[in-house]
Amino acid sequence: MSRIGVFICHCGENISRTVDVERVAAQVGKLPGVAFSTDYKYMCSDPGQNLLKKAIQEQKLSHIVVAACSPRMHERTFRKAVEAAGLNPFLCEMANIREHCSWVHEDKEEATAKAIEIVGMMVERVKKNRVLPTITVPVTKRSLVIGGGIAGIQAALDIADCGHEVILVEREPSIGGHMAQLSETFPTLDCSQCIMTPKMVDVANHPKITLYTWSEVELVEGYIGNFQVTIRRKARSVDEDKCTGCGVCMEKCPIKKIPNKFDCNLGMRPAIYVPFPQAVPNTPVIDRANCTKFKTGKCGLCQKVCGPGAIDYEQEDTLVVEPVGAIVVATGFDLYTIDEKPKGSAIKGYGEFGHGKIPDVIDGMTFERLASASGPTGGKILRPSDGKEPKQIVFIQCIGSRAREKGISYCSKVCCMYTAKHTMLYHHKVHDGQAYVFFMDARTPGKNYDEFWRRSIEEEEAVYIRGMVSRLYQKGDKIVVMGSDIAVGVQVEIEADMVVLATAVQPQKGADSLAQKLGISYDKYNFYSEAHAKLRPVECATAGIYLAGACQGPKDIPDAVSQASAAAAKVMTLFAKDKLEREPIVARVKEGGCVGCFACKKVCAYGAVEEKEIRDRQGNLIKVVAYVNPGVCGGCGTCQATCPSKSVELDGYTDEQIVAMIEAL
Amino acid sequence: MTQPIDTSIYAAVTAAIQGEAKRILSEGQVTAIVGYAAARRKGSAQPIVISQPDDAQKLIFTPACVNNLAVYLTKAKKEIPKTGKIGIVVKGCDLKALAGLMGESQLKRENLYLIGVPCAGVLGSTIQPDTELTSDSIAPKCTECNERMPPECDFVPAVQVPVNQGLEKKYAAEIARLEALTPQERWAYWKEQFSKCIKCYACRQVCPFCFCEQCLCDRNKPQMVETTPRPAGNFAWHIVRAMHLAGRCAGCAECERVCPMDIPLNLLNRKMAKELKELFEHEAGFEVQEKGPLNSFTDKDDQSFIK
Repeated sequence: MSRIGVFICHCGENISRTVDVERVAAQVGKLPGVAFSTDYKYMCSDPGQNLLKKAIQEQKLSHIVVAACSPRMHERTFRKAVEAAGLNPFLCEMANIREHCSWVHEDKEEATAKAIEIVGMMVERVKKNRVLPTITVPVTKRSLVIGGGIAGIQAALDIADCGHEVILVEREPSIGGHMAQLSETFPTLDCSQCIMTPKMVDVANHPKITLYTWSEVELVEGYIGNFQVTIRRKARSVDEDKCTGCGVCMEKCPIKKIPNKFDCNLGMRPAIYVPFPQAVPNTPVIDRANCTKFKTGKCGLCQKVCGPGAIDYEQEDTLVVEPVGAIVVATGFDLYTIDEKPKGSAIKGYGEFGHGKIPDVIDGMTFERLASASGPTGGKILRPSDGKEPKQIVFIQCIGSRAREKGISYCSKVCCMYTAKHTMLYHHKVHDGQAYVFFMDARTPGKNYDEFWRRSIEEEEAVYIRGMVSRLYQKGDKIVVMGSDIAVGVQVEIEADMVVLATAVQPQKGADSLAQKLGISYDKYNFYSEAHAKLRPVECATAGIYLAGACQGPKDIPDAVSQASAAAAKVMTLFAKDKLEREPIVARVKEGGCVGCFACKKVCAYGAVEEKEIRDRQGNLIKVVAYVNPGVCGGCGTCQATCPSKSVELDGYTDEQIVAMIEAL
Repeated sequence: MTQPIDTSIYAAVTAAIQGEAKRILSEGQVTAIVGYAAARRKGSAQPIVISQPDDAQKLIFTPACVNNLAVYLTKAKKEIPKTGKIGIVVKGCDLKALAGLMGESQLKRENLYLIGVPCAGVLGSTIQPDTELTSDSIAPKCTECNERMPPECDFVPAVQVPVNQGLEKKYAAEIARLEALTPQERWAYWKEQFSKCIKCYACRQVCPFCFCEQCLCDRNKPQMVETTPRPAGNFAWHIVRAMHLAGRCAGCAECERVCPMDIPLNLLNRKMAKELKELFEHEAGFEVQEKGPLNSFTDKDDQSFIK
């Protein structure tokens, strides 16, 4: 016989204002099986919880119903209290008489009657609760990091320094990401390469890090602590073990004029290439689409000149399966190319700015390459059209960003600061030049950020014009920029030699399909969604997957690095235990009734249903039934709804419990 | 107007089945064959399981061979030995049931030897077995059949099925009649039909898709469906049955044939099939399907009901 204890909470006045809590306590106290019932002003408070614990011990209670707020709010609180008093936590249920009753009704008489019914239902349900043991699953203490930009590198190094193995996967031939492309970095103007490349080398040399470049995640199976990740290692056509990185192949390759993506297509590279001289690994890759050998079958020069014999035209993609316990997603960003509108996208584009048509209208990343000492111009600011030094340069902010009517409503966060940096770099390199900036607002929150921006105006002579540009057009070798200065209220026309557009930061192409492989959620722009905007900013809602860097939203380097270290800390927290505990609200197959039609397996979103053979003592197969892996089950109950013979049940939500609740009404 | 139906091929079909059955049994390709044999009453037929080559001569195919033999292969029915390859005589309509059972992991194609039957139609359930097959005596399901030659069988007798044209499609006509009624009238119609039900569960017993070892309607903890033949329990049972068969039932109409109270059960199944065809472009057919429309979601699915 159950001895149920019912605890009615006033929730200050939130419940007691509309529900006569004393009457509810008195009424439910008369229900069969209820041994004790009481009410208290704040059940969740320390005295309230002590009241509960004391009653469990003194009254020898076997089951508990707390009638208070939504279980989403305090179920965990009360289950912990019940556990502390020596009962199994899953023998405690909550009756929601706040959100479902007092908050939505006005008539005290009716609300009280409803509250009595709600509590009565939960009393009947809790009678059929089972003792559920907490589920533990083993943790594979290896981690996958997707993306080898600064965020991915930082996360990988932090986790590896803690002694755990890391698999770092990068889609491009080298790690480094966008930070490797930058010239100098705000707010200190230190050289990006100088601070980035040592970290890249650290990754390459770290004994705990396995680096897969020119590779992509193909398939993700499993669950927190126990993922199986299939990685496609694209054919490099160069044997990484044999290649010494001498670079003779690149020198001899007769195809030399392929625009280099790393240099924003300003520089050229051969068909066998590393994207930039400091690449890690320093192993070239053959661009098969442009290589004569692959196009016509002739040439083969690189193979002839390669001393170690590393060139392998026959190489094929290979698939590697890596077991990991946690995944850090750090796939980064891409710049919005305003002349290339994605198909079917809501984004409208800025045709009026001539990007892609006027050669001297470039984006921010292209300017970085021009300003970079290792860039195509050796760090000289020169126009792409004729190689002349621009004497008047116009920067335009918020291209794409903060333009709801054009399709992107968010702020790209980094552009105000990098444009301020660009004006400085320009001033340092072209002493007689003049920089103009069209801007809406300057957004400079960050340590030493506003000082940096003020410096660009006060010391580096950049002219900031508050207002937007309406049109750009080519006039001779000049670009006429027509805009407005709303601070003064006049129209402005500037004849510029070069225009730099601060285009919006967007997620990488294919971010959505990777999210689908991982089973994580993303917003309408394809930025990945964190579990909670404020309190769980680096975790995904999917357990065991963490976010780092600009794949979650526009970020500058300090933010990306901080988030990467935070994600690494989360991974290390997970790895600190050998076993993982999770709530035992999972589906269970009643094998006697199961006929193995596997409708449950077909509908399971978590891949938790397996096939299990039942054999007799002689080992003869009796039947094949479904088995739910409790470590994988998400507890959604879809299998329970689908099973034609009702042979699978969700613990805590069994048919018996639900029917008992209905019958109590 | 009564139209005769040409069943002259059935003699050749019978001879071919006997020859093939004898061959595969004596060669040991199968351990048993499920087929039809003559029964006691004149012209009648009944299911038979043979395991000896000499018994092959007992097999027949006539307009009285109405049963869907697929039901003898499902797990709930223990008549057939579990081991080894089994031969089975199948009409087009029965083959669809086998395809469905394969999709639901109940049968494996490699464990079956399919002897397909070119079929011009069988007799209706209320017709005496020795009656001539005509447009009046033919089973209603055969008026809508377009699968007279079962495809992808291991053996099919080499005969041409004569084409019977202009048969009135009986279910389609009845569904159209019911759809034209008001919801109240339809409710009254089914209420009357289901009130006849005596809960004998013959429909469940004969259905190849009712393969659960423990039917949810027999569960009592909690009791899902009232077991006594009262209106509420009758309704619940028939609605559960219709929903469970939606997207799976291919229309062998065995439920309707065995119902002692003449409830038009296949009419309900055909209506469900029509709904699924219209909503999801899904039809239970010869193809072994991994997932039915009720077990899957695509972005093309109709979502207007959510608004």
